[in-house]
Amino acid sequence: MNSIVMKQDASTAIRELLAYLLSSSRVDAVLTMRQVPETGSCDLGLITDPSGMVEAEPFLPVMTANAGQALSSISMSGKRIAAVLKPCELRGFTERVKREQGSFDNLLTISSICGGVFPLEKVISGDLEKLVPRYIEKTARAEAPRGLRETCKACEEFVPMNADISVSVTEHGSLMHLHSDRAEEYTEGFEGERIEARADQSHIDRMMKSRSAAKGKLFQSLEKSSGLDGLVDLFGKCVGCHGCSRVCPICYCQHCDFESINFDYNQPYFQESLEARGALRLPPDTILFQLGRLTHMSFSCVGCGMCSDVCPVSIPVAGIFKKTGERTAGLFDYVPGRDSEEPIPVMVFKEEELGDIG
Amino acid sequence: MAAVLPVGSDLSGAMNRFLKTILEKDIVDAVLMPMKVPSGDSFAWIIMSDSSIVDDAEAMAPVMPVQGARALRSLTRKGEGSIRVLALMRPCEIRAAIELSKLGQVKTENLILAAYDCPGAVPMDSFVSDPSSGEDLFRKMLAGEDVSAGEVKPSCTSCVEFSMTDADLHFGHFGLGGTEVLLIPGSPKGMEILEALELPADRETSIWDEAVRKRREKQVASRDAAFEETGENIRGVQGMLNVFADCISCRNCRAACPICYCRLCHFESETAKQDPNSRLDSAVTRGGISLPADRMLFHTGRMTHMSLSCVSCGQCSDACPADIPVAQVFSFVADRTQKAFEYSAGRNDGDPLPLRSFMKSELSGIHEMVSDAEPGGHAHE
Amino acid sequence: MPDFHPRIIGFLCNWCTYAAADLAGSSKLELPPEFTVIRVMCSSRIDHNLILSTFYRGADGILVAGCHPGDCHYGEGNYYARRRFALLKKVMETLDLEPERLELRWVSAAEGNRYAEVVNEFTDRIRKLGPSPIRTSTRL
Repeated sequence: MNSIVMKQDASTAIRELLAYLLSSSRVDAVLTMRQVPETGSCDLGLITDPSGMVEAEPFLPVMTANAGQALSSISMSGKRIAAVLKPCELRGFTERVKREQGSFDNLLTISSICGGVFPLEKVISGDLEKLVPRYIEKTARAEAPRGLRETCKACEEFVPMNADISVSVTEHGSLMHLHSDRAEEYTEGFEGERIEARADQSHIDRMMKSRSAAKGKLFQSLEKSSGLDGLVDLFGKCVGCHGCSRVCPICYCQHCDFESINFDYNQPYFQESLEARGALRLPPDTILFQLGRLTHMSFSCVGCGMCSDVCPVSIPVAGIFKKTGERTAGLFDYVPGRDSEEPIPVMVFKEEELGDIG
Repeated sequence: MAAVLPVGSDLSGAMNRFLKTILEKDIVDAVLMPMKVPSGDSFAWIIMSDSSIVDDAEAMAPVMPVQGARALRSLTRKGEGSIRVLALMRPCEIRAAIELSKLGQVKTENLILAAYDCPGAVPMDSFVSDPSSGEDLFRKMLAGEDVSAGEVKPSCTSCVEFSMTDADLHFGHFGLGGTEVLLIPGSPKGMEILEALELPADRETSIWDEAVRKRREKQVASRDAAFEETGENIRGVQGMLNVFADCISCRNCRAACPICYCRLCHFESETAKQDPNSRLDSAVTRGGISLPADRMLFHTGRMTHMSLSCVSCGQCSDACPADIPVAQVFSFVADRTQKAFEYSAGRNDGDPLPLRSFMKSELSGIHEMVSDAEPGGHAHE
Repeated sequence: MPDFHPRIIGFLCNWCTYAAADLAGSSKLELPPEFTVIRVMCSSRIDHNLILSTFYRGADGILVAGCHPGDCHYGEGNYYARRRFALLKKVMETLDLEPERLELRWVSAAEGNRYAEVVNEFTDRIRKLGPSPIRTSTRL
C-alpha cells in the first residue's frame, strides 16, 4: 500500500496536510479536534480558514462528541470536507450513512490506530496537558496509558476499518497509509517520501493482547448484571435523562419513541398497577427504556463510549451495550461500521437463515 | 398555627409513620415518596398504596436523582383519575409541580402536595461514588450541624425557598431540636388531613418561624454572593463561552429540568436544524464553527423559554457531565427575569404565567431609542 | 468602521408597520439598503427562538415592529409580543449580550415618516456598534 513517511510527529504532519488541503482548495472545510486557547478547553471544530489550523489537534485523545454524529448532517452539504475521525467515530458515521443520515460522497476520512481517549472529566479538570505527552509515548510503544476510559481499554476495533487515510505511529516512526483513490488524489503534491508499507502488524498484535484481556475483564464484571434483578441493580439509579441516547451516534431518531406519547399512561394504568403490586416507580419504564434501546440499536453499537461519559450517575452503559451488541450483531455476522455497503441486519433477511430460533 | 407530630428517635422515621398512618386510615389512596434503589447508591420515587411498603421508604432522601415534579408529571399528565395521592417532596419540587400545573402538565386536583424544611441535598455524583458518606453528611445537614459548602449541592447552599412553600401540608422541623415536627396546613386539603387524623392545629409556631428566618438570612447572603460571582463570569459572548466552554451539547440539563416539559425540544426539532449547506456557508463566513453546533443558542434559548418558571432546584447542574455551573447561571437569569415581571415561580397565589397574561399599561419603557418616544401621527387617533 | 455593512432584519407586522414601509417607499423616503424586511402577520408571531436564531445565523441587529398597543389587528397580539420581547431583552441584558441590537417599535400604517426615522436611526446605531460578536465567533 502506498504510504507517506511523516517527518514530524503525527499531529503536526496531519495538521499540515489539513492546512494543505484547505489552502489548495481541495476541501472546503476540515473537521478536527482543536484547542480553544481562550477557555483552555477543546472542542470539535469545523474549520474553513487555513489560519485556524494552528489550533487543530487532530489526535487529541478526548471525545467531546462522537465526531461521526457531529459530521452527519454537514456531510450532506455537497461541499468537500476532510474529517479526522477516531475509528469508532468513523464506524458510527458509517452506520449513520446506512440510515441516510450522512454521505461519503464529498468526504475524505482520516483516521488512526487509536490508543483510546481519556474520560471527559480529564478535560474538565485541565489534566489533559500533563497526560498527553505520556500518552503519545506509551501508545507509540503499544502500551496502554493510564486513566483511559473503560470502553477504550477494552476496545478491539482500534484499527480504522474504512478510512481513506489511516495513520500509524510506532517507535520507528509515523506513516500515513493511503487506502483509496481519493486519498491518492487529495494528497498529490503534499510533501513527503512515498513508500510501500502497511501498519506494523506486531504493534497491532501487542495492542490487541492488552485490549482483549481488558475486554474479558470488563464483560466478566458485567456478568452479575444479567437477569431482571441484575438489570434493576445496574439501572436502578438511572435518572431517566436519556443523555445516553442523545449522544449515541446510532440513535438518530429526532423524537425517541420512549419520549413520545406512546409512553404516557393514563390513570387506570397506575390504578391497576397499584392494585396488582402495591407500589410503582415514577416515572415508570426505567428498565424498559434501556431494553428498548438495546433492541433498537445494539447490533449497530460501535462501542464509542459516549453514553457512559455523559451518564450523570456513572452507570457503565457502554459496557452493557457493547457486550449485548457483540452478541446481537454476531447473530447476523454483522460488524457495525465495517463497510457502508453492508446492509443493516434488520433491514434484510435470507430465507434459509436462523432456522428454529425458538 | 400547626399540629404537632412527636418524634421518637428519628425525624425521617416519624414522618414515615405519619405517611403510613394516613394510608392505613384510607385518608389517601397512595403516597409518593423516595425509596432507596436495590443497589443502595441512589433513591427513586415510588408511589405506594400498600402501607407496609412505606417501612422501606425514606421520607427525606439525601439526594434528588429525579426532580419530584417530573414524577408527578408522569402520573397526571394524561389527566386525573380517582386515586388521591399525597406526595412528600422538597420545597423546590413542590414549586416545580405548581409551575407545571400552571403549564397544564400536572393535575393537582387529587394530589396533596406536602413539603418539609429542606436542609439541602447531596450532589448526585458524590453520593453515587460513596453512598454511606453521603448519608452521614445528610444526617448532619438535617441535624443543623455545620458542613462545608463544597459538599452540598451548590444550588442548595444559595436556596432561599427551603421552607414553607405553597404546599397543602408542610412538615416544619427547623429549630425544634429534632423532638417534634410541626404539621402546618397550607390549604383546605392539608387541613382535611389533619382533621381526619384528629390532630388539632393549635400550636403556635414562633420558635420554628424564628429558626427559618435566621436560616433564610444566611441563605440570602450566600445567594447574593453567588449571583454576584455568576454575573461577573457570564458577561458577554466571551463570558458565555467561558462558562459553557466544556459543554458537549448532551442536553442532560434540559432533560433533568422539571420545567422543560416539551416532548420534543425545539432545539432538537427539524425547525431548529440549519440546512447543511447554509451551516457550511456560515462556517466559511466565520472561518470555523464548533460542533455540535448551536451550543450557546440552545442555552440562551432555554433561558428565555423557562427562566420565568425556574425554581432553582439545581437538577441541571447535577445532570451535567461537564460540571458546568448551569444551575447558578439559570438561577441568576431567572432571578432577573422573574423580578422584571414581579413573578415568583412556584407560588400558588393565583398569579398567571407572565407570558400568558398582560396588562395594557405596562412596559412602556422598553423603547428607549427614538427621542420622541411618544408616537405621533397615530393612525387611529 | 467605514467598510462595515451590517445585516439588519426587520420583522414587520403585516397590518401596520409593513404598510408603513410601503408608504415610506412610495413616498420616496430614503431607507438603508442594509435593512431587510420580513413580513409577519403579527408582532406576536415572533418568538424568542426566531430572534435568537436570527442573531446566531448572522444578523447584526433585529427590529420587531407592529401596530400600536390597542390597535392590534387581532386584538391583543402585540400585548403578548411586548411581554415576550421584554423577557428576551432582560435575558440579553442579564448576560450582557448587547441588548441594544434588538429593538421593538410600534409604527402604524399611516406613519411612513416615522418608519423611515425608526429604521434609519436603528441602522445607524448598528453601524456604530459594528459586527455582532455572535455573528463572527468561530466558537459558536
